[in-house]
Amino acid sequence: MFLRILLVVYVLFVLSIQPLAAAGAPDLDDRTREIATELRCVVCQNLSVADSPSEMAQQMRAIVREQLQAGKTPEQIKEFFVSRYGEWVLLKPKTTGFSALLWILPYAALLLGLIAALGFIWRWTKSKSTREQAGNSSSVAPELQNHFLTQEFAQPNLEDSSLRAKLLREGGRLKDELSDLEFDFQSGKLSEADYHTLKHEIETRGAIVMQQLGSLPAEPIAQTPDQKLPGVTAAKTASTHNPFQRWQLIAGSVFLLLFGLALGVMLTQSIRPRTSENDTMTGDFMTGTTPSTSNARAALDEGKQAFGRQDFPKAIEAFKKALAADPNNAEAHAYMGFILVRAGHGDGALMAFDKALSTAPNFPMALWGRGMVLYQEKKDYAGAREIFERLLAIVPPGEERNEITKVLAEIRAAVPGEKKQAPAPAGSAQVSGKITIDPKLQAKIDPNAALFIIARSAGAAGGPPLAVKKIEQPVFPLSYSLGQENVMMQGMPFAGKINITARLDKDSNPTTRGPGDLSGDSRNNPVEVGAKNVDVVLNQINP
Amino acid sequence: MPWRRLLLIALILGPILGLLAFGFTRDARYITSPLLAKPAAPFTLKLFDGGKITLADLRGKAVFLNFWASWCPPCRAEAKELEAAWQKVKDKNMVFIGVALQDTDENSLEFLKEFGVTYPNGKDESGKIGVDYGTWGIPESFFIDPQGRITYKHVGGIRAALVLSKIDEAAKSIASAQEGKGDYQSIR
Repeated sequence: MFLRILLVVYVLFVLSIQPLAAAGAPDLDDRTREIATELRCVVCQNLSVADSPSEMAQQMRAIVREQLQAGKTPEQIKEFFVSRYGEWVLLKPKTTGFSALLWILPYAALLLGLIAALGFIWRWTKSKSTREQAGNSSSVAPELQNHFLTQEFAQPNLEDSSLRAKLLREGGRLKDELSDLEFDFQSGKLSEADYHTLKHEIETRGAIVMQQLGSLPAEPIAQTPDQKLPGVTAAKTASTHNPFQRWQLIAGSVFLLLFGLALGVMLTQSIRPRTSENDTMTGDFMTGTTPSTSNARAALDEGKQAFGRQDFPKAIEAFKKALAADPNNAEAHAYMGFILVRAGHGDGALMAFDKALSTAPNFPMALWGRGMVLYQEKKDYAGAREIFERLLAIVPPGEERNEITKVLAEIRAAVPGEKKQAPAPAGSAQVSGKITIDPKLQAKIDPNAALFIIARSAGAAGGPPLAVKKIEQPVFPLSYSLGQENVMMQGMPFAGKINITARLDKDSNPTTRGPGDLSGDSRNNPVEVGAKNVDVVLNQINP
Repeated sequence: MPWRRLLLIALILGPILGLLAFGFTRDARYITSPLLAKPAAPFTLKLFDGGKITLADLRGKAVFLNFWASWCPPCRAEAKELEAAWQKVKDKNMVFIGVALQDTDENSLEFLKEFGVTYPNGKDESGKIGVDYGTWGIPESFFIDPQGRITYKHVGGIRAALVLSKIDEAAKSIASAQEGKGDYQSIR
């Protein structure tokens, strides 16, 4: 029986030891992860290399793995990253050098706190026991001495020169003297013997004051039945109403409350969700990583929302607020510019865009705004062209870039000098016809809209149109003709098969399609250049 | 007497809170790089034109090393400036090297073509060169003196004028005490 039990115990022991042994030799993946957990992903916010999905973290993990394979120790690997990025790359700061303070300080603070707490408790118990001792051992009026210790001396009016007032003042003074003595003794300035001698002396003087006070006629107002003490009339016990202790309690509570509030405000003000990949989680007046204050940011968001709703008065108000908080906020300046454009104040808009560009010279939104004003309002084609070329160099390929290319092509087509350079077309190289509006949509015409007549090569899948003509405030039915002079890209021949479309654009901006814009295609599409009666009916409305 | 105690508390708490507040004002990423005035990490870069370039072979020359990507707007903004600077110094004892990070060959080549970049460029396939130079966002630029020591680091977009003055300093082995900071950086 005993042998069987021994066997079972042995089997259980072996079974339990096996996984432990396996865990004792972690494989490469585990070791890589372990080190990666202690390294900061340098492109993330508070994520370790082990937890981040970013490409950079993947590369860093690969380096850790490689170095482990090469036989480096975890310390050597961490040291490698520290030598490249500095100590901030370690999520756990070093325990040596200046960083050691980060490890020592909290414990030191804890220790100090404990010592302080113990000190307070010791003082409290000590003062209580000495009081008891003094009360017991004192040969002179022990009861009075004890009352003196627990007595609170209401300080009378300074002008009051009665004997009672004088005695009360003397009592208060003696109490202060006793507190000072206590403090001096606690802070080690007095020997124990001196302390007891001086304390006894003060207490004796205090007892005399109490005695004299007791011999005075009673003061009915200050006296309540439960406060009556032998020989003393206006006495109150310190244990129930000690204003000094109450003051300490109130001050402590206020301090704690303010500290909590300050901490709460600081944290909520400094931590926020990242709004873009260039943003930081702590960005703000506290980090100094972005110049805008939280007020500016909130106002900016509010303004952008109002702008989106086309509630311009509110948007202006919000952007002004944002600029008051952060006068160099490029985004707020740019938005102000767009509002001014809408209001028809081209010069004001230009100033706003310039302000935005003075703080952020390559801010795409401001460049776009400035370019559009120069092109459409000021007809400064050379200036607009320069801006859009600058913008084209910055914006990565995509939809926005295509839009910029399109506008740039329009500007190039609009430059009078360049138009003249194009060979004069023969009279026949034209397409003409009439543009009408579907009677059902007649009511939807915006009197301020601009008409764009657009010709695209029949084979082209996308890209800028071959030719465009813009007619401000058109009157329908409208006769039109498109020719070489309307070609957008310099040197492109106005020839071959083309598709004709027309759009009545509410905001007169060919690059945007807003709700309520009317459009239509020619029924004859595709047509050969030279064709006549290529009529277009505007029969579609943009939702 | 209570005032003495309050003063003591203030003397203890003040520095701790001050230290906390100071910590909040710092973005660790902008704390000066430990690489300044240190030997530049050796590397061999496979170039887009099929060749190879090894830093060790460039001893005796001042080197400008730029990390970039085609998807990074500030890299696009500085591309022409860098090429303009290169055109001014290409006949001197100086070398410009571009290192594409986290990018595809196709997009990188398109970028080089678009901005007419003529100095040698290659791709850091594994990201090791980037890590060796402590890069975390791009563009980042390094200036290396003829002895192979990093004299200056610039994070964010850089202008031709600064490139020219810093490469001149690198040629004379003048190391800057602090790294520079440009417009802004892109991270992915």
